[in-house]
Amino acid sequence: MSADDPPSGNAPSDNPPSDNPPSGSARFDNAPPDMTVFDGERSAAGYRINKLSASLIDPENRTAFVADEDAYCRRFDLTDDERRLIADRDWNGVVAAGGNIYVFLKIAATIGSNLIEVGAEMRGETVEQFMATRPMHGGG
Amino acid sequence: MAEIVGGIGVSHAPSLARAYDQGLGDEPDWKPVFDMFEPAAQWLADLAPDALVVVYNDHVNRFFFDAYPTFALGVAGEYHQADEGWGHRPLPDLVGDAALGWHVARSIVADEFDPTICQEMDVDHGIYSVLPFLAPPPWSTPIVPLAVNVIQHPLPTPRRCYRLGQAIGRAVDSYDSDARVVVIATGGMSHQLHGSDFGHLAPDWDNEFLDRLEADPDSLCDLDHLDYMHRGGAESVEVIMWLAMRGAMGERVRRAHRAYAAPMLTGYGLVCFEPERP
Repeated sequence: MSADDPPSGNAPSDNPPSDNPPSGSARFDNAPPDMTVFDGERSAAGYRINKLSASLIDPENRTAFVADEDAYCRRFDLTDDERRLIADRDWNGVVAAGGNIYVFLKIAATIGSNLIEVGAEMRGETVEQFMATRPMHGGG
Repeated sequence: MAEIVGGIGVSHAPSLARAYDQGLGDEPDWKPVFDMFEPAAQWLADLAPDALVVVYNDHVNRFFFDAYPTFALGVAGEYHQADEGWGHRPLPDLVGDAALGWHVARSIVADEFDPTICQEMDVDHGIYSVLPFLAPPPWSTPIVPLAVNVIQHPLPTPRRCYRLGQAIGRAVDSYDSDARVVVIATGGMSHQLHGSDFGHLAPDWDNEFLDRLEADPDSLCDLDHLDYMHRGGAESVEVIMWLAMRGAMGERVRRAHRAYAAPMLTGYGLVCFEPERP
């Protein structure tokens, strides 16, 4: 189904749909190459990583993760590749594997990191290099 | 009957929470952001609403992808702060307006919106990062939180969010009470939090959004999610929640306050509207 196809089904006339087709039907083929859209396929693919990440809202789980990361990852049935991505802090790889930034940010929180460090790594920059791109520091 | 006396659209962000907790209001990065909240907080204090309806999103702190609700409405008498991985911030629990929550539930379900109804709903930075700026704790004004899925596509459309707001407006209008209600919608403006375009900012688009939100919200309803994501970055799509606030305000609004700053990772916008009734 392409973005140009009309939505299927008949809407009642007293509740007309948007003129635009549902964007779900477009499947985000037009998304820019540097944008990863967290859709159902990605959420399904990243389910194990995201479930592990979400578990870290519990302080006891954070302690267990820090104590033995690999054992903690095995509890969530992560594949070898998924465990390696987390061990390597390969955040772009985590995104490609279906990790959602809002969720795997909890891994960063657990290991004493933060969003800016994660973001700089994804851009291939140091934190200092990234901060220099910010409007208040002459960038932007 | 109850009435809506104001609406606020405001960006939320974890970094806002950190700046508040660390008292960074005098830092050059943060002073413009702290300053833009001051008139809004004064305006809200002067309005002295009896309840707040807050449209926001949960960042996988209350709900997980095993069952992620498109809309989730709180009907509790209190809401705890979610631990997002860094531990709890030194802030009190939120007071909930259970009676208004259940009324909104009955009204919007009759209006063909079908949220998950929540008697427990830990609340994350979607509310906690901005509420201390808008109203200094301790908090006594009760809230009704309404969470929207803006994370896992398919998302509700922009127009659906606007119509949700209209339904909230009808719910308040039909509430047998003299309560004066402010509707708040939170959600970051331009930002992207993954990949090589991490840190994407689009101040021109953000300001165009603020213009159109006030004068021509229908045109914002005509955009689709990718339109928002192209303009403001993938995660900026959450700004569609502001349309719920705008929908609740009725056709015409009077702007009481507007400010914008983009010092770091996210476009921080803030608007305060009052309804302009014929």
